[in-house]
Amino acid sequence: MSSLHTWAGLLLGWVLYAMFLTGTVSYFKDELSQWMRPELPRLSQIPDQAVVAQRVAVELGNIAPGTSQWSIRLPDERNNSVYAFWRTAPRNPGQRGFGEGNFDPATGQRVASRDTLGGEFFYRFHFQFHYMPVVWGRWLAGAAAMFMLVAIVSGVITHKKIFVDFFTFRWGKRQRSWLDAHNSLSVFGLPFHFMITYTGLVTLMALYMPWGEQAAFKTPAERQQLSAELSAFIQPGKPSGQKMPLASVADMVRQALERWGRDNVGRVTVVHPGDAAARVSVARGEAGRVSMSPQYMEFDGATGKLLMVRESVGPAAETRGVLYALHLGRFSDTEMRWLYFLVSFMGTAMVGTGLVMWTVKRRQKLPDPERPYFGFRLVERLNIASIAGLSIAMTAFLWANRLLPHPLESRADWEVHAFFIVWVLTLLHALVRPARSAWAEQLSAASALLFLLPLLNAFTTQRPLWQSLFEGDRVFAGIDMMCWALALLHAVLAIRTARQGAISQPALKPKRQAPIAVTSREGAG
Amino acid sequence: MNHLLPFALSLSGFTALAFAVRRQQRDVIGRPLRPTTTYVLRLAGACALLLALGILVAEKGWSIGLVLFSGHTSIAAGIVLCALIGQARMVR
Amino acid sequence: MSFLIHRVRSTGPLISRIVAALFGGYALAALSSVAVLALPLSKPQAVLTGMLASFAIYAGAVIWVFAVRSALKAWAGLLIVAVPLLPLALSVS
Repeated sequence: MSSLHTWAGLLLGWVLYAMFLTGTVSYFKDELSQWMRPELPRLSQIPDQAVVAQRVAVELGNIAPGTSQWSIRLPDERNNSVYAFWRTAPRNPGQRGFGEGNFDPATGQRVASRDTLGGEFFYRFHFQFHYMPVVWGRWLAGAAAMFMLVAIVSGVITHKKIFVDFFTFRWGKRQRSWLDAHNSLSVFGLPFHFMITYTGLVTLMALYMPWGEQAAFKTPAERQQLSAELSAFIQPGKPSGQKMPLASVADMVRQALERWGRDNVGRVTVVHPGDAAARVSVARGEAGRVSMSPQYMEFDGATGKLLMVRESVGPAAETRGVLYALHLGRFSDTEMRWLYFLVSFMGTAMVGTGLVMWTVKRRQKLPDPERPYFGFRLVERLNIASIAGLSIAMTAFLWANRLLPHPLESRADWEVHAFFIVWVLTLLHALVRPARSAWAEQLSAASALLFLLPLLNAFTTQRPLWQSLFEGDRVFAGIDMMCWALALLHAVLAIRTARQGAISQPALKPKRQAPIAVTSREGAG
Repeated sequence: MNHLLPFALSLSGFTALAFAVRRQQRDVIGRPLRPTTTYVLRLAGACALLLALGILVAEKGWSIGLVLFSGHTSIAAGIVLCALIGQARMVR
Repeated sequence: MSFLIHRVRSTGPLISRIVAALFGGYALAALSSVAVLALPLSKPQAVLTGMLASFAIYAGAVIWVFAVRSALKAWAGLLIVAVPLLPLALSVS
């Protein structure tokens, strides 16, 4: 069982680490998006959602006339721009085409800021990666999540005594900090790790397990029954062909605001705008309820009349809604979001320490430490690039955001290319340099890049840290200071790695006794 | 809503529970405590945690309260565990 | 030749288990997500319940495969659970 745990964790461990780290960061993706669009002023208060909705609706009518569907996410506490997408003619037959953009809530026009994906890049990477068809990425994420689930369950079974001796988790006197760290991180975050893994699978369960749906529903109408339980999206039916202007979206949103409270409208979706058969759904915001099950008001698009209100779904659908909400954590206020972030960060560290622990344990058993076997070398180098290298790459993404000129053709894409180019470079570095130096060098590089980022920000934008602090701009100040906190963390890790590298060489002989103590303890546990 | 009180309760709750375990008593204090003391510590620890849960649920409702409770207890447990590890290493 | 037989003998069971875990486990989870439709629930709720539970079944199957003593037992266990589900699944699809 402990080998199952090791292999389940190791085989896709690097993928899992990347998912965990990008997922952790994604809890603040909206804040990151704000930071990456410094030209957009922060909103000292949330604008009237009804007015904003109307503005953007009008603009979308200009940009995308004749589209069959558009959808906008209104500004809230964490978002100072409106994100919208709309259906377009598909680029390839059989695919769906859509356009997207960010809009200024004050003017309704597209934001006049640098072209960037913002925090959305990390969020999307987290479950569908990049440079591959979306479905493949999601399957890879799902496979990794299943491996993680098995690793968690087998980990608990291997340490059955966890629940009996929660605090007496003891380790040999000579074991290294990585082992202590992996064990303690796994144990105290266990409820979270299990929850986040299972709920992660639930978010894409329709992709992973479509069989029940396929067996039960034969017609599109029947399938609609199911989708209605899952989201507030109205399927675009046939347009009537008769042109009628869209009724006042502002009025519809106002009715929703009355129902659900101030600033609590999340999304407005319209099918067939400008047609007599238009329908508008105004969905509730995500704050304050731990569920993503659809709650929305449906209006006749041409007349503005309220057609129906949907506020509950069946028990299984509600369960799925709750599990989905638990994973995304969008219901959180600031304190809860920080809790999510911290515990998720611990989860990331758990995966990372697990990967490192594998090499630490195996190194002690190597017949010749100077010439390890291929598998060991592979794991060792991948660890460096996937862990330390990822920190460098993610920071490079932010550096690219500040340094790339704007306007620039496909600027948003180039920020992403920068991320991957740097990541590949870290892999090359890890392959070329001796392992111990590579760790220390990459961690130091990450630390330096993180430390310099707020300074770069001060020099390249109008929003330096001292101004953010003075104005009480929590987003900008928070991110700048978080960079420094992370820089410190990486510096500490770099120093420890460098020091351990210096000590462990002569100490290799005595440490050989430690594995026996380790394995016998694991065997007993 | 003040998160400090529920967090402090979670932290002290786990600390009390930790010291209700014989191993900890021996390692940290040096000798096992009397059975009554151990029992009281266990009771106090459990009560502190339940109180934290109660406060969170009362202020924020069941769903958000439970999520917050899970977060607070995870972090509090982590801190206590790390403190124990740190103490053990220093003694070595 | 005997070396080959030896290799197959020693890694064969492991490979068999890996196959049982990866594919057998998924098949079992998929099967149960269809069989659940036989329960007296409305169709959308049944479909969703099947999906929600499937990952637990998959994980459980994987653990089972590696927890039992032999690869044969692993497969047997999976089949024993699958057999009653099969007619249920076929009846609803």
